[in-house]
Amino acid sequence: MDYKKLDLKCGLEIHQQLNTKSKLFCDCSTETKQKNPLELIRRKQHPVASELGEVDVAAQYEFLRDRKFNYQVFTGEDCLVETDSEPIHPLNQEALEVVLQIALMFNCTIPEEIHIMRKTVIDGSNTSAFQRTMVVGLDGFLEYKGKKIGIFHVSLEEDASAIIGEENGNVTYKLNRLGIPLVEIGTDVIEGFTPEEVQDIAYIIGMICRSTGRVKRGIGTIRQDLNISIKGGQRVEIKGVQELGLLSKIIELEVNRQLSSPKVEKEVRAANEDGTTRFTRPMPGAARMYPETDVPPLKISENLIKKIKNNLPEPLNKKIIRFKEELKLSEELSKQIVRSDYPDLFERFSKKFNIQPSIIANIFVNTLKDLKKRENLSVEDLTDEDFEKVLTMLEKGKIVKESVPDVLTFRLKNPSVKMEEIIEKMGLKTLSEEELINVVRDTIKENKDKPLNKIIGIVMGKVRGKIDSQTVVKTVKKEFEKIY
Amino acid sequence: MYSSKVQKILKIKKIRVGDRIKLVKNKKSFEGILMPRIELGNQDCIVIKLDNGYNIGIEFEKGVNVKKIKTEWKISVGKGKKMDKIIFDKKLPFVSILGTGGTIASKIDYRTGGVYASFSAKDLTTQIPELKEIANVKTREVMNVMSEDIIPENWGEIARAVAKEINSGVKGVIVTHGTDTLHYTAAALSFMLRDLPVPVALVGSQRSSDRGSSDTVMNIACAANFVTNSDVAEVCTIMHGSMSDDYCLVVRGTKVRKMHTSRRDAFRSVNESPIAKIHWDKKKIEILNKNYRKRKDGKVKVDDKIDTKVVMIKCFPGLDPDIFDYYLKKGYRGFVVEGTGLGHTPTLGKFSFLPKIEKIVKKEIPVVMTSQCIYGRVHPTVYHNLRELSKRGVIFGEDMLPETAYVKLMWVLGHTKKIDKIREMMLTNYAGEINKRIESNEFLI
Repeated sequence: MDYKKLDLKCGLEIHQQLNTKSKLFCDCSTETKQKNPLELIRRKQHPVASELGEVDVAAQYEFLRDRKFNYQVFTGEDCLVETDSEPIHPLNQEALEVVLQIALMFNCTIPEEIHIMRKTVIDGSNTSAFQRTMVVGLDGFLEYKGKKIGIFHVSLEEDASAIIGEENGNVTYKLNRLGIPLVEIGTDVIEGFTPEEVQDIAYIIGMICRSTGRVKRGIGTIRQDLNISIKGGQRVEIKGVQELGLLSKIIELEVNRQLSSPKVEKEVRAANEDGTTRFTRPMPGAARMYPETDVPPLKISENLIKKIKNNLPEPLNKKIIRFKEELKLSEELSKQIVRSDYPDLFERFSKKFNIQPSIIANIFVNTLKDLKKRENLSVEDLTDEDFEKVLTMLEKGKIVKESVPDVLTFRLKNPSVKMEEIIEKMGLKTLSEEELINVVRDTIKENKDKPLNKIIGIVMGKVRGKIDSQTVVKTVKKEFEKIY
Repeated sequence: MYSSKVQKILKIKKIRVGDRIKLVKNKKSFEGILMPRIELGNQDCIVIKLDNGYNIGIEFEKGVNVKKIKTEWKISVGKGKKMDKIIFDKKLPFVSILGTGGTIASKIDYRTGGVYASFSAKDLTTQIPELKEIANVKTREVMNVMSEDIIPENWGEIARAVAKEINSGVKGVIVTHGTDTLHYTAAALSFMLRDLPVPVALVGSQRSSDRGSSDTVMNIACAANFVTNSDVAEVCTIMHGSMSDDYCLVVRGTKVRKMHTSRRDAFRSVNESPIAKIHWDKKKIEILNKNYRKRKDGKVKVDDKIDTKVVMIKCFPGLDPDIFDYYLKKGYRGFVVEGTGLGHTPTLGKFSFLPKIEKIVKKEIPVVMTSQCIYGRVHPTVYHNLRELSKRGVIFGEDMLPETAYVKLMWVLGHTKKIDKIREMMLTNYAGEINKRIESNEFLI
């Protein structure tokens, strides 16, 4: 398809959770680990008489009339602030600094005074019936294929509760996601690019966020909204794309949908898992935002900006070159690890462990990809500590690199088993060379008349994962030659 | 308000709040609508609303260029109606909703964030649509005072306004009120409204009514149901009973206390069970405490004479008893002491209250003892120190809340200055303020 001819225009809005110690407006943890709710709070929400007129309120009322919202409250992860029973605390300074960092990396202008706004939401996902949000940076850009892509704004906002069920207007939410800091990056209109290139731009935006080392990773921590229009059509907004790899497909399908529909309405659609979209609601009219009056606006001092500018993370292209030169990675692997979720962890471990950096990079890039694709495992659940322990075992020779995927798989399938016990549980004890020689000698005895490569195969089958394959080949050859 | 520096430049450039302006600073330009300056933050910062709805502040200093593009909004301060009436169904009875500064229906100006109260019955039913199935509504703003600024003189004003509504024949009255001192007003109305024939419900909200999560809607809806349909003729508060929007508690005006700074279910019944539970969804009124006066015919009498020269003194380790001299010199004629435990005050050395109390009582000025424990009854004779206080003529206020005893003493002093009569009246139960029997399940409820 010729997207230039179709005049494809896209706008991206990328939301990424921050990995701060506490939530945006209270001291609750941003981890959502608790399984069993402490209690359930039941609420209703009401239309508010607004300046936007009766119709708007009537529509709100119609929508809210038969809706009840249940909120599951979790120990340590929710307090009176999340339940809308206490005014918010002062803004989390750590979150503000991370977002300032991101805004500066996108070359944004930072306002001298940041105003927290309330954005009205009526789906119950916020117990207060509005979401708090603030613009931290404006008018930035990033460079892509020699062109400037405008960054309209970088904002800091609170995440909403996660919906877990709906039945007859009874909507149930987990409250612990509410209040986790989110950075929102909105681009200007992106035009003159193909769907793949738009996806690539989204990827780079995500990478820049990750380069701060202070964003969360894993399913649900990043969500993308998309605006799509083609010549002669209306702007359609698609919300909640969780899988970045789906972006180009969604754009292609939406363009097809628009081309084949007689009339495209201005509307909001939600992303399905297969890349198609469904209608959710008409686009909201005027922005329903008014100031948060419980806490004062924040002054951003020049000193703070200077301090953050002096400590910006290394630009990604420089990092790729440095990994190649310092850690002797191939160009391809260096690019892959920088684009992954783990460049910082990789670098830290490469310095800490006496293991070839390319082996470590391969674990983060290829092993994890395989486990996810082939075994459908949620590799995001692996902690920094898990990786550290696996690498320690590898360095000490307790496991061989061939068994790393098995160890990680076992770990994900049996989260309650201690890492130290995994080796035993899996029968992964390594063999000493003497033990290997015995196995080789026995095998040769049992398989008289078999050629060398057959013997190697049988021995490999017996000792796989217990000793590295090069040693096996070497030992079998030596013993074979002794006899024949 | 913007600083004078900013106001001056806006005046020169003929720029008003609501105008679309362009601001250039350090070669960067910003365009948006000029917003009113909110109270907090740097008054030199010009606040503009960007086209995406966000506000930002740009500090005005030398080298900043401001230009008016056009007038975008004409912003005026919104005003609500002061009184109104709405008939939904001729068969339904009337209830009155009186405002004292707690908002019932609020309007918010989304452009500026300004919130103002509206007493238009239409706005009210837009916000609380189920009202039209319960009763016809009369609304009136009696005063517009924040709860913390209410003074004892306001209580009589509210009592008279309530009585006027009752005597005009309504089925019940709802008074909306800020929450901080709601329980003081509730106690005052309990003493001032004599021979009450219908229920009077005081209602507040812990989350302001401009937000979609406000507790106002359920509180008013439950109160409307209660004052229309129950047979209870008491002054009471009606507020959330739990964190959820499931039921409200009806608590006697003399037994209620705000027990939390911000939770919806802050208003709790002390030393007795709440009178009733109102289930919002099922519209069911469940009576929990049968000790109440029943609805009847007749008119209410207002007895609003009070003497406001009463003070409440909280007792704590190290308090200098000279504080009593200060109030005596100022002409105070009544003291309520929030004693420790069963009603103690220090009795040793320079911290002893005894000489002061002796001096006050000799002047025929009442000293009423209550407890800062909040729950439970004070006792005049259990310990030696209590007997010392009692001997000197301190009035032990039974299980009365300190706040209720404070309001009651003002009301009693409005009627008599004779110490024996004061003692008798303080220990007479006028409005359920004294409960002779406290049961084991009447604690922390």
